[in-house]
Amino acid sequence: MRATIRNVLIVARREYLWRGRTRTFILATLVLMVAGLGVAAAPVIVRYVSERGGPTTVGVHLGDSHPSIDVPRALDGVLNAGSDHNADGTIRRQVSLKVVADLEAARIDVDGGRLSALLALSRGTDGELGFTLYAKGQAFEKTSTMIRQAATSIAIQDRLTRTGVPPIDQAKLFAPVSFTFRPPVDKPGTPEGPSTSEELASGYVMSFALQLFIFMAIMLYGQWVAMSVAEEKSSRVMELVLGAASPFQLLTGKVIGVGALGLTQYVLVFIPAALGMVLQDRIASLVLGVDSTSAGLPAGLSFGLLVAFGIFFVLGFALYAVLYAGAASLVSRQEDVNQIVGPLTLLSVAGYMVSSYASTGLIDISGPLLTILSFIPFLAPYLMLSRIGLGTVTPLEVLLAVAILAASIPVALWLAARVYSAGVLLYGQKPGLRTMLRAMRGA
Amino acid sequence: MALVVDSLTKQFGAVRALDGVSFTVQPGEVFGFLGANGAGKTTTMRIILDILHADAGSATWNGRPTHDLPRRTWGYLPEERGLYPRMQVLEQLVFFASLYGVPASGAADLARSWLRRFRIEDTQRRRAEELSKGNQQKVQLIAAILHDPEVLLLDEPFIGLDPVNVAIIKEALLDLRDRGKTIVFSTHQMEMVEELCQSIVIIDRGRVVLGGGLREVKRSTGRRVVRIGVSGDPALGWLAGLDGMRVTRQGQDYTELEVGVGRDPESILTAALARGEHIIRFEIADPSIEQIFVERVGRPPSEDHRLAPEPISAAPAEPTGA
Repeated sequence: MRATIRNVLIVARREYLWRGRTRTFILATLVLMVAGLGVAAAPVIVRYVSERGGPTTVGVHLGDSHPSIDVPRALDGVLNAGSDHNADGTIRRQVSLKVVADLEAARIDVDGGRLSALLALSRGTDGELGFTLYAKGQAFEKTSTMIRQAATSIAIQDRLTRTGVPPIDQAKLFAPVSFTFRPPVDKPGTPEGPSTSEELASGYVMSFALQLFIFMAIMLYGQWVAMSVAEEKSSRVMELVLGAASPFQLLTGKVIGVGALGLTQYVLVFIPAALGMVLQDRIASLVLGVDSTSAGLPAGLSFGLLVAFGIFFVLGFALYAVLYAGAASLVSRQEDVNQIVGPLTLLSVAGYMVSSYASTGLIDISGPLLTILSFIPFLAPYLMLSRIGLGTVTPLEVLLAVAILAASIPVALWLAARVYSAGVLLYGQKPGLRTMLRAMRGA
Repeated sequence: MALVVDSLTKQFGAVRALDGVSFTVQPGEVFGFLGANGAGKTTTMRIILDILHADAGSATWNGRPTHDLPRRTWGYLPEERGLYPRMQVLEQLVFFASLYGVPASGAADLARSWLRRFRIEDTQRRRAEELSKGNQQKVQLIAAILHDPEVLLLDEPFIGLDPVNVAIIKEALLDLRDRGKTIVFSTHQMEMVEELCQSIVIIDRGRVVLGGGLREVKRSTGRRVVRIGVSGDPALGWLAGLDGMRVTRQGQDYTELEVGVGRDPESILTAALARGEHIIRFEIADPSIEQIFVERVGRPPSEDHRLAPEPISAAPAEPTGA
């Protein structure tokens, strides 16, 4: 027993250190770290780039329309409604307005890019205000929608003034209304689910994102375990190793070593990315000089979901990696690895797909089919996370699924070790189910 | 107190790889395990090592089933050669030794001294794939003996080595034997058997054909060999006419004859003297292991190796049992 643990750790250590030192691993990790940071910092970068050219300037040509209200001010209020404040408390305008007198000159400015857009007012023969927006390019679309909204309320105010409503009443007229959303009240006895549709949506998004991490780990690092087995076999070092360690020790050591390395890569990539995400506002205030707001966990990420993710990540990976290793021992060349692990990969993809269908409502997540499927070890890492994210599961059910998954790993290990001890001594086989069965009988 | 292989039987699909193989290796001896390719040598070794399981029969070392013994009892040099291609030599040796329970620091020192002994000390920091085939083989042998096992099972340890390296390995093996190690090795090179082994067993198609002490095996045929050389007449055509004698080798310096059972080898000498030949060489000896092998197995032990080597991907479908 002690020798077994010792050898498992020695194999794991070799796998971890040796693979971790390869140039491929170091380069891939660095690239992923930069990519992760990039994704996390993307909003800040986008803001920085868009604000670097100074605020957008919109020209306003009043001509002879003589509106009854201050049009530039009304536009300013609408267009800069959600703007940040500078450190001194003044509004940090995203759009600045400029009254122009010469329509033709202003239109040339729009064409030349000196003005982002030009809003020209006119007064029709029926007394109604008319608006014409001159703009260049599609990027202006969001602002143009807002200008259209502003123009509508300006026109309405103008009409009200013309019918004799005093400006003070108009301010009251346009004041925001009180609006509250109330979802149906929870029936007693049902699991505690998200209470608002926003929470529901973010819980689903978060559980889905976490499933993606599990899926990627199985595809990527599971493949590494399979490759590692095939490498040893194709270089024929396997026989020397088999003289020293049992298939069980080798298999377990490999899964632990590669799994730990995969986890290391995840942590290395995600810590800077997560820090970048959490500190986004602080970074933004440093780079852009805007006032920072408080930072917190992303919406929908609860402590329970994180713990469940950790457990399903480790166990799900272990189950697939063990079977990947067993299957890979049947082929002699690394090129054949993908073919032999194909059915297992399909199973993982299926779990992920079913989970995504269920999350988007194509399959009923609380129906009996999904409930049963979510206890199958191969699918549990995906489906259970979905059910947790959507709040349609009791803690007892989650515990049961974890127990089944955990119990399936020793079975998988036994099976894989058996395939492995027979498979590694077979050379030049066509990978397939028959080979596998024949190999197991011979061992 | 011995390695006892008793009635091992192993079936791979339709192929019966071992069919009641039995032999005994005395502790501290060098034992030759002979057979053509596919005879069952590798399968037997794998069963002793508990890499494969026998359908029937047993293998014991000092009375205990081999699968109950710790793995460090054995030092195994597999027939399929291989190292981790991109791992440094010293690093892999320490890795293998640590799997057998040798602490890393001691293993590194020991590995260095073996590398020095095998005259490849400069390779410790090099990756295995950069080494010549012969040097890789020496590194593999070190990996098999670094943990100081009681029994060495070496599958073709000399194949593909030049004479200088053969001598180095031979010396190391004899040294290990003198330190009380038991050495079982398979080979196609019969001159190695004659030089090193106290006992042998010859197996063919999964069955033991012949076994025992080298001397007894040679005597067991009841025949003797005479080598005779005379000046002036290398052909010695008249020898073919002698009753009960068979010319087995006609050389420039001497001619070799097999003496039939019950015939007196000295009668050849008498006949030669009677013909007035000037004799420069006369020798009475036991038949060589090579001759016995050919006689009992029906083909030379190295026949398969004259064939073109098979590409890796087209290796035999069943476990490569030799």
